[in-house]
Amino acid sequence: MMKKLILLSLLLVAGFTLAACGEKEDIGDRTEINFWNISPVGSESYSGMRRIIRDFNESQDAYFVRSTGINFWDYWDRVNVAIASGNAPDVALHTIDNVVLRASNGALYNITELIEADIAAGRETIAVENYLENQLDVAAYDGNLYALPFSATTRVLYYNLDLFEEAGLSETDVPTTWSELHTVAKQLDDVSGNTINVLGFDPSFGEGTYKQFLWQSGLDYFDEDFNVTLDTPEHLEILEWMYDFNSEYSRSALDAFGEANEMLGINPFAAGNLGMMIASDGLYETLRPLGDSMRYGVAPIPLPDENGVRVNWGSGFSIEMYDNGDEARKQGAWEFMKYLMTYEVQQDMAEVLGWLMSSIPAMTDYAEGNPILEAFIEELNYAVDKVYVPYAPNWHAVDWDQYFEEGLRGAMTAEEVLQAAISNYIQKRENYEAAN
Amino acid sequence: MAKKKKHTNSLQQMRKQERRLGYIFASPWLLGLVIFGAFPILASFYLSFTSYNMVGVPRFIGTTNYQALFFNDNLFWKSLWNTLYHVFLSVPLGLIVGIMLALLLNSKIRGIGIYRTLFYLPNVVSIVAMSLLWLWLFQPNFGLINQVLSPFYNLLNMEPLGWYRDSNISKLTLVLMGLWTAGGSMIIYLAQMQDIPKDYYEAAQIDGANGLQQIIKITLPLMTPSIFFNFIMGIIVGFQVFTVAYIMTGGGPGRSTYYFGYYLFDKMIQDNNMGQASAMAWVLLVVTLVITLLALTLNKYVFYLGEQD
Repeated sequence: MMKKLILLSLLLVAGFTLAACGEKEDIGDRTEINFWNISPVGSESYSGMRRIIRDFNESQDAYFVRSTGINFWDYWDRVNVAIASGNAPDVALHTIDNVVLRASNGALYNITELIEADIAAGRETIAVENYLENQLDVAAYDGNLYALPFSATTRVLYYNLDLFEEAGLSETDVPTTWSELHTVAKQLDDVSGNTINVLGFDPSFGEGTYKQFLWQSGLDYFDEDFNVTLDTPEHLEILEWMYDFNSEYSRSALDAFGEANEMLGINPFAAGNLGMMIASDGLYETLRPLGDSMRYGVAPIPLPDENGVRVNWGSGFSIEMYDNGDEARKQGAWEFMKYLMTYEVQQDMAEVLGWLMSSIPAMTDYAEGNPILEAFIEELNYAVDKVYVPYAPNWHAVDWDQYFEEGLRGAMTAEEVLQAAISNYIQKRENYEAAN
Repeated sequence: MAKKKKHTNSLQQMRKQERRLGYIFASPWLLGLVIFGAFPILASFYLSFTSYNMVGVPRFIGTTNYQALFFNDNLFWKSLWNTLYHVFLSVPLGLIVGIMLALLLNSKIRGIGIYRTLFYLPNVVSIVAMSLLWLWLFQPNFGLINQVLSPFYNLLNMEPLGWYRDSNISKLTLVLMGLWTAGGSMIIYLAQMQDIPKDYYEAAQIDGANGLQQIIKITLPLMTPSIFFNFIMGIIVGFQVFTVAYIMTGGGPGRSTYYFGYYLFDKMIQDNNMGQASAMAWVLLVVTLVITLLALTLNKYVFYLGEQD
């Protein structure tokens, strides 16, 4: 009898669960728009995202947005496969630095045309001047916008004020040049034997990258025609500067310091073990729960001692409309996209997602009174996104990191690292050009 | 006569109906095979002759992808070499450890079920969790393995091993880690060991054979079918190595653990180059097939007990 009862209960639970899963809101004759985002059920942003979408749906007679939240780590495969198979959602988030790939292959609707149509019809539309020019540039292909910047971030120098004071330094000592950075970092170092307790700074920690330091020196990986330009003495000098920054410590001691934090899932800066670190506003979100228990500040990334260019690595998500060949859905997707880009929704999204959004007026007001966020908004003016290189879309990551790390380990000299990377890029280009 | 003919007809009808029912019952599997198996295989074969970035339309380019891989891609050869190294090291070591575990656990001691379960357990652990665990154990500076080995390092006056951080032994490190799952093949060996008739051992004991001789002359020859099975499966699985390197080493240091599967993944996901990724998949299939066929020639040394009757 007991067994039967348990079985019956299980069946009922399963039945209700399945019925709940299958439940679909009645949308009447409204056109359904699919919106893919990174706020799945169970995520912190889920309820906020749901509320924002519900508000849009309640304001609409013609369209109904159905949201699909996907875990960040699965999202990119899912959305790319959906695009490849012709089943893309109507609106989705993507990475802004490779909009060109999708635009040049006809996967996206032309946003410029939609804006112009709105203007011609006297409708409210997107004010492109509200967005960073740099982000608009990477979202454009052939002179037209094919996506809009959805979020915007950049990198700054975080410094730990408690560690500064312990070392007899103050906020006025925050470095502004590379040589100051080195001097201050060494004053912050705390080493016992072969164990690094506190490290002042390391150019390769956090989001410190070779490209960042190159850009600040007016250099780059490629020229305008995507020819590799890494083979100059200036490139070599900067790479050697990165490798030599903490050369007085053994690589194993530096690895142990880095990995001890990394493997525990602790950010070394948040743990109070790193005096200064280059990072994005993501670190601010990590530090926020710590409240006043840690005193820190942010500043522009120090520049080369001479002829430095104030520039930061910028990045962000784009919001895109996929060409599914359905005019009603296209118009609905556009209405929804315009709603997401409004001043109020952008501020709401910043709160819900914990990101800096792309609308500068909205974010400037949102950040008011918060010195960290204000500093980020200021630095966004100097942000530059990675360029999309067709033959090596991951020139800055997979294609570079392996060689760079070889140099860090001392298995290759800086010169060998650059030569190996150059050979790899050239080979990739030859193969790409042979196939395209 | 008419009655016999009628009987034959109804039999044929019954067989026909059975055949139809058979197909109907098997249809979900057959459909699955065609849709999720055969179609992707054929599609990847076609795509390997195209330029396809996963957004636009595939464009036929003949054998360009294969030419690029064979004649102008250092990482292709590097990753293939890494994978062959992994297979040639991991398969024999896996066999030896699996057999040794099975021999150890083929005894009638108290709590043997618990021991067998313990050795099998790593096989049900997620490979990601397993990789993270071993990352801790092998960590050169504070990992447990180097802590345990430190007296030996001091005795031999040598630097602690860098394990996955040392390009000279990083592949070996991942192979050693893989041995943790040797319990999977151990179960198969154990099952076969328990099938060996006891009277063979009794006869050997009467003839004065010791334990080692019994293992060499009776147990191992009669286990050759399962050894052979694990050998072939080990080769096939070995060529697909990817996850441990992806989690533990990111293909490094110095691309020393950049396996073929990893490079294929990067070609597709990082470079959006589905054409070359498909070509790599077919090269991997051919390489696996050739080595598996070579391995199959060893079948003549396998002793199938049932065939001797």
